[in-house]
Amino acid sequence: MRQAVANVGAGALRVAEEVGGIVILTGQTLRALVPPRVDTRELVKNLYKMGNRSVPIVVLTAFFAGGLMTLQTGPFVKKLGATALAGWGAGYAVLREIGPILIALMFSGRVGANNTAELATMTVTEQLDGLRALAIDPVRFLVVPRVLAMMVMLVALTVIGDLVALTGASVVGHAMLDIEWSTMFHSFADNLRPYDFLHGVYKSIAFGAAIAMSSCYFGVTVRGGAVGVGRAVNAAVVAAAVSIMLLDFFLTYLTG
Amino acid sequence: MTRFAETIGDAIVAAVRAVRDLWLVYVGTVAGLVRKSRVPHRGEVARQLYAIGNRSLVFVIVTLGFIGMVMTYEACLQLSRVVGDYTQVGPQYLRLVISDFAPTLTALMLATRVGAGIAAEIGSMKVTEQIDALRMSGVLPIDYLIVPRFVASVIMTLVLSTVGGAVMYAAGGLTAQYSFGVNPNNFYGLQFVRPRHVVMMIVKALSYGAAIPVVAGFCGLRARGSSEGVGWATTAAVIGSSFAVIVLDFVISAAALFVTGGDL
Amino acid sequence: MSAYIEWRDVHKAFAGKPVLRGMSLAVTKGEVLFIIGTSGVGKSVTIKHLIGLLPIDAGEIWFDGERVDELPERKLAPLRRRIGMVFQSSTLFDSMTLAENVALPLRKHGGMRHAAALDEARRRLAQVYMEEHAERYPAELSDGMRKRAAIARTLAVGPAGPAKPGQLHSGPEVVLFDEPTTGLDPVSARRIDRLIRELATSLGVTAIVVSHDPPSILGIADRVALLYQGVVHVVATPAELRASADPIVQQFIGGQSAGPMETPGF
Repeated sequence: MRQAVANVGAGALRVAEEVGGIVILTGQTLRALVPPRVDTRELVKNLYKMGNRSVPIVVLTAFFAGGLMTLQTGPFVKKLGATALAGWGAGYAVLREIGPILIALMFSGRVGANNTAELATMTVTEQLDGLRALAIDPVRFLVVPRVLAMMVMLVALTVIGDLVALTGASVVGHAMLDIEWSTMFHSFADNLRPYDFLHGVYKSIAFGAAIAMSSCYFGVTVRGGAVGVGRAVNAAVVAAAVSIMLLDFFLTYLTG
Repeated sequence: MTRFAETIGDAIVAAVRAVRDLWLVYVGTVAGLVRKSRVPHRGEVARQLYAIGNRSLVFVIVTLGFIGMVMTYEACLQLSRVVGDYTQVGPQYLRLVISDFAPTLTALMLATRVGAGIAAEIGSMKVTEQIDALRMSGVLPIDYLIVPRFVASVIMTLVLSTVGGAVMYAAGGLTAQYSFGVNPNNFYGLQFVRPRHVVMMIVKALSYGAAIPVVAGFCGLRARGSSEGVGWATTAAVIGSSFAVIVLDFVISAAALFVTGGDL
Repeated sequence: MSAYIEWRDVHKAFAGKPVLRGMSLAVTKGEVLFIIGTSGVGKSVTIKHLIGLLPIDAGEIWFDGERVDELPERKLAPLRRRIGMVFQSSTLFDSMTLAENVALPLRKHGGMRHAAALDEARRRLAQVYMEEHAERYPAELSDGMRKRAAIARTLAVGPAGPAKPGQLHSGPEVVLFDEPTTGLDPVSARRIDRLIRELATSLGVTAIVVSHDPPSILGIADRVALLYQGVVHVVATPAELRASADPIVQQFIGGQSAGPMETPGF
């Protein structure tokens, strides 16, 4: 019994240490942004790399997610004869919740994990110390461009993904539930407000920040060789997933 | 022009090979299971049960709890704008939790936690040549590494889905009660739950539980190089297992729709 | 008048195990000083302390009349522009070509634009006889080549503008080398040695080299400091070392596994 309590305590301490570390890194990142002297070459390189990697998987995921939503809500709506609301059921959930969350999770897995792996490998092979020895601040040179690139990319991907998801919802609605394209389109247009769309986008900004900071933190604090890299990636995706859920909760309540 | 066709051709060949290798891993795992049923690696399975179950429990409870609250909040919010009647929210929500959200969301969370962990572990073993060492001492890596994790994952995904679902539902109920004044008696009701929903949940949980370790183990075994290779393997595992969960969800839901003739 | 660089009674322990136990060493300007000793005795740790990559537990470190061991990370940048370090694993960035690697400090510290920096980088790679490989990536090259490129990159750091009076170049005044010839074939190793010697004689750079390669030690060192059991056991010229009757010195220089030296872990 006492061992269990000790374990919980140790676990809580570790989480607190990680949260503290991420907060400190966030502070360093923010400070490096004032004045905004970013290495533009690194920024562009990362934007390209992250966008390239994640578009296919996000598009595919969004398509399926949209389809799924229609599968869930469609039959119910059809039974009630309210097919006009079919788009609303799927679309609302997609724009406000499913879209941003799923896309953020996929982004975290694809780009966040990869970023952690890269930074961790650089740390393990002393390239990070090498930067410091060249009197170049790793936060300014490596972390900041990646954080910015990830946040920008996630917002762009969420917008694209939302649209693809609505498309997927329509396709599934048409193919499997015999709901007409025009019905879906009109129910989207009638029931979904621009604010619903923006709500999802605001969330993606927060998710992007959480994924980026967690990913970079676990990358640069890695310890041990190849094993440490794997562990760092693991920790980064888990931390990102938890942050996404928590942020989603708070943002939903705060902004309605 | 031919260069372009070549590139596409190469990509298709690589993809087909990958799928075939993945399938081989799956078959190898099932074969290992059958073989091992006479000499089970009980200790290893138990260890994996602990590794997966115990350490993911808090994670699953926290994440599913929060998302349960959010979903109920959103649903009630939207209903308040359109219909104004909350009596159906709870029971409908329960139906969705059981047939879809609980197993799928739990599996997505496990794909990150467990999938990454398995790939990282097996990947580091691969790049430090421990896998080769295993082979040379006559042990099949799939038998020794993947099969115990497979068994543990299938069991644990089902268990955690149930726990997660309960937490999601309860959290939803609390949210509905305190934010929208929904009467708990109205919220907690089994009216819309049919046996087929429970069947769907079990089928989904078992499928996800099977898919995650196979995909993650596959990625881990393919790791090459050094720390960079391990990073790659872990990333691929998280993406691959998450995507597998989503696709399986879609396929199973569509199949269920087909079987029940359009009545979910 | 105090020495150019000085470690005074430095202590450092890792996870409770003491590594440096009161290590003291003084370095004169312009010399090539080798720090030698068995694996794990604390040689790399010693030079990493100098540029603040590792903190010390007790003692003082002085550079050019100022104390440097207590500087916070933010204030270390000027120090690191004057003291460069070439790591054992050469730490070139895998995602950049050699030219881009060397151009990096030129852009960041020299304020050069990308194209101009690349040109200057190629020129500097030529100085280390590497210009034909300037557009290749580190992963494609041998260890010896990577080492030379890393040296060129380290030398590219420095305060912007022309050399100060009394200085022969605008790069770092001190360069630390962590096992520069370990793992290299003998020919490449001697080339690196020659490069280090050239830096000292023609550019006036002070070189502190961590090594356990006897041909290097006896070949190019002005003085040699033997680290043993956490302190500097002896500091002498190579000739004095070779003639020394100290059994520990004899064992190390002769490369013998048996002898009075205690090597923890074996």
